[in-house]
Amino acid sequence: MKQRPIGYLFIAPATIHLLLFAWIPIAYAAYLSLFKWDLLKDSKPFIGLKNYADTLQDQAFWNAMWNSTRYTLVSVPVGMVVALFVALMINQKLRGITLFRTLYYIPAISSGVAVSMLWIYVYLPEHGLINTILMRFGQNIDFLSHPAWAMWALVFMSIWTGLGPRMILFLAGLIAIPTSLYEAADLDGSTPWKTFWHVTLPMLVPTTFFVLVTSTISAFQIFTPVYMMTRGGPEGTTDVVGYHIYSEAWEKFHVGLASAKSFILLLAILAVAYWQFRAMKSQLEGYSTTVS
Amino acid sequence: MVGGCSTITGDGRTVVRVATWGGAGDDSEFAKVEREIFAEFERQNPDIDIRLELIPGSQEYVRKMLLNFIARSEPEVMLLDASSAAVFVDNGVLKDLTPIIAKDQSFDLDAYFPNVVDIARRGDQVYAIPKDFTPMVLYYNRRLFDAAGVGYPKDHWTYEEFLDAAKRLTDRSRGVYGFKFANWMPGWITWIWNAGGDVLNAEGTMSSGAFDSPETQRGVEFLATLMKEGVSPSLSESAAMGVDLFTQGQAAMEISGHWALIGYAAAPKGSDGKPLLAMDDVGVAPVPTQLSSSQTVMYESGWAIGKHCKRVDEAWRFVKYMTSEEVQRKYARLGLAVSARRDVAEEIAAKDPREAKFFEIVPSARPPWGAKVEKYNPVETIGQNMMDSVLKSGKPIPEALRHAANQVDKEFAK
Repeated sequence: MKQRPIGYLFIAPATIHLLLFAWIPIAYAAYLSLFKWDLLKDSKPFIGLKNYADTLQDQAFWNAMWNSTRYTLVSVPVGMVVALFVALMINQKLRGITLFRTLYYIPAISSGVAVSMLWIYVYLPEHGLINTILMRFGQNIDFLSHPAWAMWALVFMSIWTGLGPRMILFLAGLIAIPTSLYEAADLDGSTPWKTFWHVTLPMLVPTTFFVLVTSTISAFQIFTPVYMMTRGGPEGTTDVVGYHIYSEAWEKFHVGLASAKSFILLLAILAVAYWQFRAMKSQLEGYSTTVS
Repeated sequence: MVGGCSTITGDGRTVVRVATWGGAGDDSEFAKVEREIFAEFERQNPDIDIRLELIPGSQEYVRKMLLNFIARSEPEVMLLDASSAAVFVDNGVLKDLTPIIAKDQSFDLDAYFPNVVDIARRGDQVYAIPKDFTPMVLYYNRRLFDAAGVGYPKDHWTYEEFLDAAKRLTDRSRGVYGFKFANWMPGWITWIWNAGGDVLNAEGTMSSGAFDSPETQRGVEFLATLMKEGVSPSLSESAAMGVDLFTQGQAAMEISGHWALIGYAAAPKGSDGKPLLAMDDVGVAPVPTQLSSSQTVMYESGWAIGKHCKRVDEAWRFVKYMTSEEVQRKYARLGLAVSARRDVAEEIAAKDPREAKFFEIVPSARPPWGAKVEKYNPVETIGQNMMDSVLKSGKPIPEALRHAANQVDKEFAK
């Protein structure tokens, strides 16, 4: 195809936006990460890779990485299974089904702050939605202040908030499966369960892969609920890496160190995504035509 | 200039931005009086337009002021919290007021409590004029003491005497506790100090050797004992109850500042229509101690002027007004804290025995660490996590303290 300069004009808005709000800040953060850059101090000496070396030694950072990991390891797979289940339910020809689709999607378009406030009330001891029920059985759990519960309270909430977008993607994947495949399975006398395992699930692999990668990345970046609901507590059990970096930069003003931590997080996410790509690559072969 | 220091309004008045951490916005009596105080200043100074910037939450306030300063657009006048004074003073966020004070014949720094002025003093330089302050004290409910036949707290009360009284005051069948403990480090630091321990060394530069010292350990052990003996509800019980036990007349003692009196005065009413906590029953005593005399902490706020401020004269007129005898008397009547002016504080103390007790306790109050140590803020998070790990998760105290000391030293090394 012939190159036309006008094409650059079309991609200019997105490119300029990315340049100003993503690439330049990222490059600047890389530069900052090489300095002892305390916002409040006049002297901002160059210290080479010391911020990176310090981060590798920083117990609190690794605690945060571990918290993000366990959050991701539970919230992503469970969230995906739930979303797939709901997508299957909702992919039925029922009266009023669009209402349900809308209802399930509402959390996704609500403000993260408002949703977090809502869940603070759900988890409130004694008067919260859950504890009002638990009190009938003589139980009362302060979910957000108990070290053993706080993280799982956040995970549970994330399954709810993440349901909409994941469900929509699965639904799109389900609708894209040619009906001829189901008809063929039917003719062969397949049971619904077998059809699910041998037709639906394999055909959903590209969708599943996409949902897995994007969910993993966003799970590693979780911030708003932690900031609103637990502030990394109790006892640092919900201090996820996104919040940890925020607090390093904007509470302690160690911007250089926080930048170095961001890059280590970036590397970790890249490594996980790469590993996911590798693991799924063999599965994905043969789908290139159906995917695009 | 947008984002600069001062601007002029359409009618030619100079804008003075004033930042505080709350109040003034709501419908409370306090907010009404405060609004009236600001309005009166504008009447007396028709050339000045006061623009209030209210930032609720002490952490958010500090962060926002510092970021404003970095952007060279901090408000002309800021209320400075003793708990975070060091980070402002030591980073040059505030103007040195000494030359202004020297030029102003009508201003007398000696009118204020010297140990309170010291909070924002560095050598000869003064960075804030104190507004008001409060030592942390032991509040007790006379009705519950009388009912249990226990003598009121003495001026020098040891931990053993305190525990003994608390045990006799506790009656769990009626839901009454001897003491209400809250995991709020600015409140429990006095238990560490009065056990002879501390969280930092004397210079405020290191935590190892202080936070993990045998004295600090004894202080934390004592607090754990209070919960083990059941004289204070456990942290999860407190959280689950969700009410302020002292104000409900269900805890005989608690440690808090002067501001607590505002809450006590608004105690809910019981089924007989009488308040659950009568103000006449509220007594004040020094916090218990294992030392030769009780030592407490004081929390203070003072008025300061931003470094980049160009309208220094207007800003100073406001600071002077807010710390004047006339305005201080209005604030003192609201009961949030003790006036930093000796004349006003004495006047109030002469009229009210409870206020007199506060006045007595003032000399034994030392500034919080945050007034002297710039990096103190994370220490409070670490301290509260330490206390949670001991009281909720049952972590052995020596181990929890060693861990906390290490964490603090690592933060300080950054």
